[in-house]
Amino acid sequence: MVKLEMQGVTLAYGDKKVVEDMTFQVMPGEIVGLVGPNGCGKSTIIKALSRVVTPYSGTVLINGRDISRIPRRELSLLISVIPQIPLLPSAFTAFEIVLMGRNPHLGLFQYEGPRDMDIAWQAMEQTSTQCLAERRISELSGGEIQCVVIARALTQKTQAILLDEPTANLDISRQIEILDLVKGLCRENKLTVVAALHDLNLAAHYCDRLLLINRGGIHAEGTPIEVINTQNLEQVYGHGSYVHTHPLSGLPAVLPRVDSSRNSSLNK
Amino acid sequence: MSWQQAKLSHTNQAAPAAVYPHRRGRVYAIFGLLLLFGVMVAFATTVGSVRIPLSTTIDILLSKLPLIDITPHWTSALETIILEIRLPRIILAGLVGAALAIAGATYQGLFRNPLADPYLIGVAQGAALGAVVGFVLPIDWQGLGLGTVPLFAFIGALLSVAVVYTVARVGKVMPVTTLILAGVALGALLSSIVSFLIITSPEQIHGIMFWLMGSFSLTHWSEVAFVLPYMAVGVGVLLVYARSLNVMQLGEEQAQQLGIDVEKLKLILLTAATLVTAAAVSFVGIIGFVGIIIPHAVRLIWGPDYRFLLPLSVLVGAIFLILTDIVARTILAPSEVPIGIITAFCGAPFFLYLLRRRTKVLF
Repeated sequence: MVKLEMQGVTLAYGDKKVVEDMTFQVMPGEIVGLVGPNGCGKSTIIKALSRVVTPYSGTVLINGRDISRIPRRELSLLISVIPQIPLLPSAFTAFEIVLMGRNPHLGLFQYEGPRDMDIAWQAMEQTSTQCLAERRISELSGGEIQCVVIARALTQKTQAILLDEPTANLDISRQIEILDLVKGLCRENKLTVVAALHDLNLAAHYCDRLLLINRGGIHAEGTPIEVINTQNLEQVYGHGSYVHTHPLSGLPAVLPRVDSSRNSSLNK
Repeated sequence: MSWQQAKLSHTNQAAPAAVYPHRRGRVYAIFGLLLLFGVMVAFATTVGSVRIPLSTTIDILLSKLPLIDITPHWTSALETIILEIRLPRIILAGLVGAALAIAGATYQGLFRNPLADPYLIGVAQGAALGAVVGFVLPIDWQGLGLGTVPLFAFIGALLSVAVVYTVARVGKVMPVTTLILAGVALGALLSSIVSFLIITSPEQIHGIMFWLMGSFSLTHWSEVAFVLPYMAVGVGVLLVYARSLNVMQLGEEQAQQLGIDVEKLKLILLTAATLVTAAAVSFVGIIGFVGIIIPHAVRLIWGPDYRFLLPLSVLVGAIFLILTDIVARTILAPSEVPIGIITAFCGAPFFLYLLRRRTKVLF
């Protein structure tokens, strides 16, 4: 089980600070959603949690250990990442890409064995990508590539999964399928999940806790009901959305605000 | 039952053999090419100004192996031609072909750039400058068991890559694009110095031009002995890191997230590939085309997995250069054609044919 933590983390590209003095924790068995407008720093936070970006100041901790002192290979046995818009080498087959998820489990002189193959194959079943196994990446659509990368992350068999816009390329039923899968795995295996999400409705439905991020800081934190309300969204996104209650789940649901007064003024 | 140790019980369907990466065929290919390499070496020793029957050649070669006893039915002159003149040259051609092919494949993978070749980041230009300085200076130094020209070429190659690496490094990271650009820029600078030295020393021009286009003439066992350790260590290291090179194809970020220490890997692969290339070019000069085309030809036939791409490139590169060297030393016999001319002339049409025939994604 893995506990992820940021303590007073400031992230910067050169001198431009993207995230400032951020502190939060994610516990095992919990799905935390990062939401907020474009450029608010969601992806950068995901990158810092996987040590692709080094903090300008502050520390990222995993089970209380400073992440910057953990060797790459050990870290990738603890955390897997599903990147946003993954670029894959086009000549490899989907199965070969998924099998790369076993890389941290293998020593320098080792080959993937039958067990590794089976783990990869099972991950492809969970993500409904078995039918793509022999196809080359160049023959796959954006959504299919996304699912292949998700299968690769599952093949890594880590206790923590970071997702950066995992559903950006997916159709609505695939979005639900993938997020159901992640939620199920999280509950079953006490996984620690952090997901950067654009879709507030999906975020409200699947996350236990949300961090609403604005201008590199946490604007609001709490359950979806606490975070997603008209007042918060107006402050962060401006006047553009309308929050009501989902008729089936009772969770907040967000609609784009259609301004009827503007329509009527046009009619005058 | 933890997530890592979870039995694959609820879905215990094994992956069908069809989706497994098709390894068996490529393993057969490696053995087949090894065999072809042996045949090629034996055949190459028969060709030359004196034609020696294949059976005699094979007997002479076998008689030198331990535990095999064949009564000599040949003259000692014949034995000298085979063992002291032809064989070292053929073995060196094989080593150099292997070195350039594996270094090219490594650079292409490391830079994720199909246009990369072993000379991309200044090895060739550094070696050329070193060699030309060796030709021009009225000195005769020896070192590392090498004559003046190869010694200077070897040092020049390593120095120029070290400079490129130092320039391109930003703090702890070495961005690949910066490395390529620094290599191209330094290469241009060194080339201009080489051109200047050539026009100011006309008496050396023939030797220099021959070196620059590559040649295996006057090869001795001592040269093979020098190249071999660098080859063995370099190729060994590259083969060990072949799976990491596969993961690198995902890009640096994803490679890091899959447990690769990207900066360390870049340094290891760069050092190994550079040493291998530098050792190869220091004797035989700048042989073009092998390092860029052999890996692509292998990729077109056997796919992108570096665990097969690298060893297959070694074998195909070795065979290809032995073959082209036969052409280089026989086509205008008794004089020789620089091998760099032959590699492109023979190899390019074949590669164009492969490109037309295969519709597979190349990179």
